Amino acid sequence: MKKEKVLAMLLAGGQGTRLKTLTKDLAKPAVPFGGKYRIIDFPLSNAANSGISDIGILTQYKPFQLNEHIGIGSHWDFDRNTGGLRILSPYTNEIGGRWYKGTANAIFENMSFIDHVDPDYVLVLSGDHIYKMDYKKMLEYHIEKKAHATISVIEVPWDEASRFGIMAADKLGRITEFAEKPEVPKSNLASMGIYIFNWKVLREYLLEDIKKEDSSNDFGKDIIPAMLGDGLGMYAYTFEGYWKDVGTIKSYWEANMDLLSDDNQLNLYDRSWRIYTKNKNLPPQYVSEGSIIKNSLVNEGCVIEGHLEKSILFSEVAVKKNACVYNSVVLSNAVIEEGAKVCNAVIMEGVTVKSGQEIGEKDSNNVYLVSADDIIKE
Amino acid sequence: MDNCMGVIDFSCTDQNFGTLTKKRAAAMLPFGGRYRLIDFFLSNMVDQDISTIGVFTGTKIRSVMDHIGSGKPWDLNRRFNGLFVFPPLYDDEKRTSVGDIFHFHSNESFFVRSSEENIFISDTNMLLKIDMNDAYKCFKESDADVTVIYKRVKDPGGRFINCDKLAISQDGTLENIGTNLGTEEEFNLFAGSLFIKKDVYLKIVRSAIEKGNAGFLKEALMNSVKRYKFNCYEHEGHIESIRNVKNYFDANMNLLDKDIYSELFSQFGIVYTKNQDEPSTFYKENATVTNSIIANGCIIDGNVQNSIIFRGVKIGKNAIVKNSIIMQKTKIEDNAVIVNAILDKMVTVENGVEIIGNHTVPYVVEKEMILSREEII
Repeated sequence: MKKEKVLAMLLAGGQGTRLKTLTKDLAKPAVPFGGKYRIIDFPLSNAANSGISDIGILTQYKPFQLNEHIGIGSHWDFDRNTGGLRILSPYTNEIGGRWYKGTANAIFENMSFIDHVDPDYVLVLSGDHIYKMDYKKMLEYHIEKKAHATISVIEVPWDEASRFGIMAADKLGRITEFAEKPEVPKSNLASMGIYIFNWKVLREYLLEDIKKEDSSNDFGKDIIPAMLGDGLGMYAYTFEGYWKDVGTIKSYWEANMDLLSDDNQLNLYDRSWRIYTKNKNLPPQYVSEGSIIKNSLVNEGCVIEGHLEKSILFSEVAVKKNACVYNSVVLSNAVIEEGAKVCNAVIMEGVTVKSGQEIGEKDSNNVYLVSADDIIKE
Repeated sequence: MDNCMGVIDFSCTDQNFGTLTKKRAAAMLPFGGRYRLIDFFLSNMVDQDISTIGVFTGTKIRSVMDHIGSGKPWDLNRRFNGLFVFPPLYDDEKRTSVGDIFHFHSNESFFVRSSEENIFISDTNMLLKIDMNDAYKCFKESDADVTVIYKRVKDPGGRFINCDKLAISQDGTLENIGTNLGTEEEFNLFAGSLFIKKDVYLKIVRSAIEKGNAGFLKEALMNSVKRYKFNCYEHEGHIESIRNVKNYFDANMNLLDKDIYSELFSQFGIVYTKNQDEPSTFYKENATVTNSIIANGCIIDGNVQNSIIFRGVKIGKNAIVKNSIIMQKTKIEDNAVIVNAILDKMVTVENGVEIIGNHTVPYVVEKEMILSREEII
């Protein structure tokens, strides 16, 4: 039986400006999430769990931490003799060097790589989103519909619809209309930035698109509307489940806090769909006499002597005696010194909250981002 | 550590651990929340730059192969050097019922072929983090044929009875090795590890085979104390002897001491183990945890005190776990009570069941057992 060949192209060059100091030293996909992961672990693990064996990671903005994290992909079983993971950074050629302009341009620039792999389908993924999804099912849908392109969509609240690329589809799922961030949305089906294209079709459109001087070389703004205009078979694949694009510090904090609710849909403990990440080989956590931990996620290497409630601690965090951490996200290697109080905050990597210092207040909607240099309120 | 290879010898007895060693060698006993004993030996060597390691396994090899695999967690899956596993030879015609010396002899080519001229040999009875670079320096500078690692211990409580005891002369040479019967309160405890020159090792093993006067490698070495230059290196840090269920239990519990925790887990480099990709541990609304070591992937809603909890353990509401070792993926349901016990992997303790051992004799529950409450008719 001939297996349909899929190549995943994971766009991981995003800056995530609205995350402020969180992305000061790293790209948005490398932002830590959920106690021990980075955001990119979710699409990478999804790809691994979906049985995809060829994947290209497109990096651009501050890629060092991302590259260090991904390595040769062994944590996701992508270190293969044939296929596997490749990091695709912007490069120069005889015409000169250029950065990836838009999402579609990033794919266009790597056309020779894709031709070399010679896939039937190209799966375009974003490294910015937190969700669990079986791409195999989406591909089956794409093949079954004999589609030229399939776009994964999710129902969003109507009042938020104008933030997304919004689709209208007929009963059979065929997309009839697409509008990027419409002021008056006609539907609440939002594009998740996950596309499957027949490579031959996409190739033609990329070559056409690059000729247009006014094009922003973006899938949502240019390629999809052009395909739709030509009447190609484009289908919406409706995804049900948890999906989050953490744009701001507050939504980042909220998405982390989501994990503390019993019925959270992301269920990290599900053994049939594990999320993999770089292994740090740290000793187990130590919880001392007199400490209190409730409703919290705590990672390896932490030493807890204080009071912890509704919080997420990344690796090697120290919470000293009489320190109190409430409703907060504390990234790796941070220290909460004796008697310090932290509430509704995100404490960045390696930050020390000094003894007696108090950050944030209970019963408030403010979230504080604490870095070594400053505290940002949002 | 240039010019030195490592050998881990599983020959130590696994008779005294009851069901814990029914299907695993003593060296494969789970330890410290997320490790196996062998991890400490492998990591100690790897962290101090030994890049060729031979593991001479006992006969219970399934768990060894499953855990070590290609040696990737220790960076031993190399193209050059790396990990070599030596399972026992099934059809060895010289196979005798006792001892491992034939095992070492029949794998002589591993030693002959490797380029290193010195060998570090460690059994797995003693758990410690050795400053190997320093010990190696002592071995090389003294130009000894063998440098034996020991620790001077005070043992009024008899913790180390039946361990190996060294007699060391004034000038630091080893005189003999015997068994500690507890007649002296302070003595030199053999730490289970030594450095040896490869050519001396080969001669000793050959001579033992020819003369037929040693069953175990250790025996053969000890027979040669007078013939070669044996000296000693003193280990400064913590040491645990793991010879029976009680020692094993205590060694785990000692990790609750902060200094021992940081010495065993982080001195001379970290300890590597097979990765299980567990998420963080979730402490729920009713969790009360004090003085315990908790690994990742657990979901805790009960009361945990003075315990070591391995990866992926679930502890239900109102359950009490006290002075116990709970191994990987064991499930303790609501209202269960576990005191002074060792629960092996994947045990299920159903709602309301009580398991209470004595602090001198911890209650051991075999792997994959389901403990349910008696039906009241």
